Amino acid sequence: MSKAAYDLHDVRYIYPGSLSGFALEIDSLRIGAGESIALVGPNGAGKTTLLMVLAFLVKPDPGRIEFLGEDPWADEARTLLARREAVLVTHHPYLFKGTVSENIAFGLRVRGVTERDWPARMRAALALVELSGRESRSAAGLSAGQAQRVALARALALRPKALLLDEPTANIEAGLALRIEAVIREISRETGATVVFSSHNFSQASRLADGILYLSEGKRVPFSHENCFSGTARSDGRQSWIEPRPGTRIVFPGAFEGHVTCVINPADIELVGADDPRGAADGPNVFSGRVTRLETTEAESALVRVSGELTFRGTLPLGSVEARGISLSRPVLIKFKPEAVEIIGSEPSEKPHD
Amino acid sequence: MIVRELLLAIGVSLKTSGLAALIASLLAVPAALFLAGREFRGKHAILLVNQTWMAAPTVVIGLLFYFLLSRSGPLGRFGLLYTQAAITIGQVFLILPLITGFSYMALRQVDRRARLTALTLGASRRQASWVVLREAKFALLVAVLAGFARAVSEVGIAMMLGGNIRNATRNITTAIALETAKGEFTNGVILGAILLVITLGINILVQVGLRSRD
Repeated sequence: MSKAAYDLHDVRYIYPGSLSGFALEIDSLRIGAGESIALVGPNGAGKTTLLMVLAFLVKPDPGRIEFLGEDPWADEARTLLARREAVLVTHHPYLFKGTVSENIAFGLRVRGVTERDWPARMRAALALVELSGRESRSAAGLSAGQAQRVALARALALRPKALLLDEPTANIEAGLALRIEAVIREISRETGATVVFSSHNFSQASRLADGILYLSEGKRVPFSHENCFSGTARSDGRQSWIEPRPGTRIVFPGAFEGHVTCVINPADIELVGADDPRGAADGPNVFSGRVTRLETTEAESALVRVSGELTFRGTLPLGSVEARGISLSRPVLIKFKPEAVEIIGSEPSEKPHD
Repeated sequence: MIVRELLLAIGVSLKTSGLAALIASLLAVPAALFLAGREFRGKHAILLVNQTWMAAPTVVIGLLFYFLLSRSGPLGRFGLLYTQAAITIGQVFLILPLITGFSYMALRQVDRRARLTALTLGASRRQASWVVLREAKFALLVAVLAGFARAVSEVGIAMMLGGNIRNATRNITTAIALETAKGEFTNGVILGAILLVITLGINILVQVGLRSRD
């Protein structure tokens, strides 16, 4: 087992004065040194709050955190040292007034890095984000995408032991987003830095991360790849839908646009035999298929895989398997309510041009 | 009014008001930084008192410090009444709420992410506060210059605490008051114009200096 970069135990954090009732509650979390971890979850799941905790910008109460084997909250000096080793790039990064180089120099200056080393570090960091030669540009004149990349370069120049990125490709056009993804991979591989990033894009998280941490309502929740679908959402204002495959439509409440990833809990899926009168194909989210796998679980229930237009996995009590006419290779109908669809990621389809 | 007297009066104005603006800024800007960065019970009451204090007439402040600094007053033993120091003390209290209020507004305008960003990049809390001040430097400068302008143009405090003593505590505004009382209106207008030119010159110098550094 590699050395831990982060070790969190019974961490809880509530924003002071918060009336929303939101609380980040992490029972246990270990992130190995050099690992790349993605935080995935819907808006309000606690991804940014967890990143703030990992960047030592907010102190959990109660809770115990170890960073590289030490308690970063032991005293003010250690907190400052820890903050200098774990650099967070926020979702909508702020650039200080002045030039790009002045922005990058800030972190170097507060760390006491000798000025002789600044130009080389700046050049290397800007080259990584494809902004070479922009050192003297005014930060105020940069596009949102360029600002995001300068913020990333500003963090990279500091060579932190942990790089924390809050939706690092959120404001960047698709082509450059791929470059940023490559940078994240390179950092992790070549510098040995621990990288923790949040993303709405499940496929991006899968591509980049050694592990995915799924958060919901401030808590770690087990993530299953079962019944995970994604596609471009359309909406009539009241409901939205995606078509994972042509002719299939998964409907869910709310107005969404852009790329959406959703999951359906197997327990929320109703399975009935195709000739069962309860299987009338009315309403949304009704699919047909054949049972391709049927297995019993320890919880006196059966796990059923149904393959058809889409493949679903559902569970039902053992006793009702036969009563519903479900057996291997038999045609069945899959039904679930729109409310059973949980959105775990959404990304606007239109990105600002860079 | 001979030139030497005029230059002395200008010197007294610049010295007392400049020093008052400096001292008040050193007190007001940290206070504004504290108020702008925190929410606590009683904050609105403090801001209300500050706003009310801004409207205090100069003669009221002059009168208050006259009692404090006069020979029989609690601070009489320091012998400050009718000195330039007395004018400066009075002017500090005159412009303190003004600079605090303007600085507070300036610092509230700074993007809240500035401080957070500084912290994420490894700044200490003190360094992060400097970043916030730096981001608001032009607006803070306006606050300080407004304080200076208020101090250099007031007459009540300078008259009551300075006594308008020739070649000692007479400044431009008390000189204007004297020349007007004597019926020398032309001299009064010339002195008024000089006051405006001085203020304009200082504004331009500081603005140009800061912009060239930015």
